[in-house]
This record gives sequence, structure tokens and C-alpha cells, in this order.
Amino acid sequence: MSDKFKTMEDKLGLDKFKAFEKTHLKIKEGVDAHKLVEGKLFICPAKVYELNDKGEAIVSFENCLECGTCRVAAPDEIEWEYPQGGYGVTFRFG
Amino acid sequence: MGAEEKFDLIIVGGGPAGLTAAHVAAKAGLQVILLERGEFCGSKNVFGGIFFTNVMREIMPDFEKDAPLERVVTRRRWSLMTPDGEMAGEFRFNKFAEAPHNNSYTVLRAKFDKWFADKAEEAGAMIITGAVVDDFITENGAIKGVKARMDDGDIYGDMIILADGVNSLLAKKIGLHRELPAVSTIVGVKEVIALPEEKILDRFGVEGSHGAAYEYFGYAARGAIGSGFIYTNRDTLSVGVGGTIASLIEHKLNSNDLLEDFKKHPVIAPLIKGGEQKEYSAHLIPDMGYNGLSKLYADNVMVAGDAAGFVNASLYHEGTNLAMETGKIAGEAAVMAKEKNDFSSASTSQYEKRLKETFALKDMKKFRNLPKTLEHSPQLFEKYPKIMEEFVRDMFTVDGEPKGKKQARLIKRLLKQESMFGFIKTALDVRRVIL
Repeated sequence: MSDKFKTMEDKLGLDKFKAFEKTHLKIKEGVDAHKLVEGKLFICPAKVYELNDKGEAIVSFENCLECGTCRVAAPDEIEWEYPQGGYGVTFRFG
Repeated sequence: MGAEEKFDLIIVGGGPAGLTAAHVAAKAGLQVILLERGEFCGSKNVFGGIFFTNVMREIMPDFEKDAPLERVVTRRRWSLMTPDGEMAGEFRFNKFAEAPHNNSYTVLRAKFDKWFADKAEEAGAMIITGAVVDDFITENGAIKGVKARMDDGDIYGDMIILADGVNSLLAKKIGLHRELPAVSTIVGVKEVIALPEEKILDRFGVEGSHGAAYEYFGYAARGAIGSGFIYTNRDTLSVGVGGTIASLIEHKLNSNDLLEDFKKHPVIAPLIKGGEQKEYSAHLIPDMGYNGLSKLYADNVMVAGDAAGFVNASLYHEGTNLAMETGKIAGEAAVMAKEKNDFSSASTSQYEKRLKETFALKDMKKFRNLPKTLEHSPQLFEKYPKIMEEFVRDMFTVDGEPKGKKQARLIKRLLKQESMFGFIKTALDVRRVIL
């Protein structure tokens, strides 16, 4: 394996994204976001949900691969919709 | 769209189910509009790697002339992965390279679905891209169309086929299916890795335009309920792994980390060595089986493909052909409904009725117990692969110990870890659901 692409950031750099100004992913009000990320959302293929140094949840929606894993993992805690039409990830291979 | 404009059929989603429905219905003369949320049809679509073309051949017998096909699959290999190695079985039939090519081609969906969309347009369907549909237009409780999130996005039509993929928020909205269960929804992650053609031929033991499909079971997802794959394209490999969402959470596994580990496994690493990553993608697979299919129709509405849950997750791993078959039958049902000018469930129910006579619903039914069996047999993914590895490796270890003695010793040790009854029951359960 070539060692060029190892980090998630580098891998996502391979994909074509067109970010919309507004997020399509939200952790619902009143949900313990820290616990949710640690308990469930860590499985996200793009690591969209991460905790910062202060332990707060960061949602990097612009990296979303639009699979729906977070939605199925936490249907009651997440508001999920498709990004605006024509935006988000565009697969060139698929 | 102006309110005065009304289509016979609105299709949501430009994957194999939606495009087939569009092709069939437009060709029969219906006014068809297909709404795709991506920049182009295929731009959001991901699968493992084999497009099964039996239905494609029915609706477009000459598709091989210009379809962007990668390789014809002549070799399929199944491996029971263990932490340190593998045990495998395979078939290879060069006859499959002859027409009709066993209807098994590796493809890359961004190219293939885009090509298919052009064909659907040629057949007369109107395709609007960049159009994400959030809701239905209803009048007095009756569905009259859909709302796309765009200017003039209210689109009216007599019938709607939901082919909006595994997440199908629309089918959920009108109660045709429940939320996808985490125990039987698989998240698959995949990389497309470029490798010179001659390396692909050498490493996978194929010639010319022939290709191979390698599938990995057992300890492919580091003990979680899941599997992995490598499919050979012309000059790239599709390499991926997936596991049920519930199982990955339980095992504290991030899906990308899982893929990175899969690529480093001693069995996989030499096959992809020196390759150059081209793309990273992720997608859900509805693995609920027959019992988890959505309701397939309502007044004015039919559901096809992944949106309804049509994936045969047994050893055969078929999906694209089920999507196309359901899309085809739904499209034909729309044509019949138009002839009768009746768009109520009396008409749309014909879709399910006819589908029962096809391989799509019959195969789903045959493998209906697969999701439950896998969910209740976590030993298949960690404990058994480890036991098998130990047993086979030790039996083949050449160290002067007589084989009979070795065997007796190993069986004794094996039965300490699992009862004979447990082994046999699992073996029978699994055979019934995968073959």
C-alpha cells in the first residue's frame, strides 16, 4: 500500500465535495452530545462527529458522505436530512 | 413546475430501480419525470461491485455495446477470514465470459448510472438533477405530487415511485416503512484503488476482460457482524468492508478504522500493495430481509429497490438486479394503471402481485431468516474463525506428531470451547440461510 493517504482528512481529500452554507445534520436540543459521540456516533465513516479539547461535540457536516449511519445509530437524537440538491459529496467512481 | 403541468409518473431517485422504472414507463408512452438529488445520476450511488444485468438485458438487449462495464466476473471466491489468515473456496468458469456473460459485471456506479440515465432520457423520461425531494403534496389526504427543495419545486403527478435508496425518508414519511433497525442495517465503507491492469490480472489470476470477486466472511470486521470484499475493475480495485451498525457500536469500531485494518490484514495487504487510492465512500445496505421489506404500495405510490429493502445478502450478494426487477415491475404497473386511469391501491397493488411471481420476491423469501440468524450467531464472526484457524493450522503443522493423535487432541480442545451441538446447530442454521 502506498503510504500517501492515511489520515481521514487525506482520504476525504480524494472525494469531490461542494459544501452548502447550512448544515443538514443536527444533534437535537437537550441531548448529551458528548455522550452521544462517545457512545454511538464514533462509528461515522467520515468521523463527522468528534469531540474537541473541551469535550464538546463538533459536527463537520461538510465532510459528510451522506450514508445515514448516524441517523440509524441514533434516530431519536439526530435530525438528519439530505443536503441541498446538487451539493454535498459527488462520487466520481462510486 | 407550473401547476398546470402534471406528469403521469414521478420517480424519486436515479439509481437502478428508478432509472429502470423511468425507462420502462417512458418507453410505453407515459409522461415521466425523474428527480435525482445529486449533480448527476450516479453521483451519490455506491455499491460493492457487481452489477447483475439479467433485467438490464431484458429491457435493453444491446446494453453491452456502450455500457461502461469494467470486467465480466468469471471467478468468485469466498474466504473465511481468521485473525491471522484465511480458508477459502471458489469457482472459476471461463464459460461465464461467453454471452450472456452470466449477467455479472463489475462496474463503477458513477459512470454506469450516468450512462443508464442517458438511456432513460433517450426512452423519453425527463430527468431533473440537483433536486432533493423532502415531502409530498397532498390534497384532502390524497397524494398529488412531491415537493422538491428548489424554486418551483412542487411537482404534480398521478403516480409516484419511490426509488430514493436505503434511507428512503419519503417511504417512512407516509408510514410504508419503519426506521431502519441498527441490528440489520450494514454500513459499508469502500475505497477505489488504482492498480496497473497487468498487476490486477496477475494477482487475481484472470485474463483479458475477465474479473474476480473476492468476498471475506468470518473475522473480516474484527469480530463485528460483517464482511469484506475486493472486486476487480479494469484498472482499479473496489475494496471494502462493512458491519451492522449495532455490532460496530457494540465492538467500539469506527467504520473507517475497520477498513484501514482490513487493508492491513495479511490476506488483503499483498493484493492491494502499491495501489493508489482514488476515492473513499460509504453507504448503507438494508439487510432486514424479506420480513423487513417495506409495504410496497399505497394509493398513487409504489416503493422499489433499496428504498423497499430489496437486497439478497446471502452468499449470492445480489442487489442491483433486485432493484432493476422491482423498478421494472413498478414501471409496468404504472403503465397498466394509466391504461385503466385508476391510480388507487387497486392498481398499485398489481406491483406486489406481479412481483410475487419474480425472482426478486422469491429470493427474498427464500433467505428470509438470514438477518435473524446472523444477528443471533455472533460466534460466526469471532469465536468460530479463531477456533477454525487454530484447528486447521495445527492439523497442517508438520512437527512429527501422528495425525490421529493430533486430531484427538485438537477435537478435545475444541469441544472445551464449544459443544458439538452448538457447532452443528450453527452449521445447519447458516447453510439454510446462505445457500
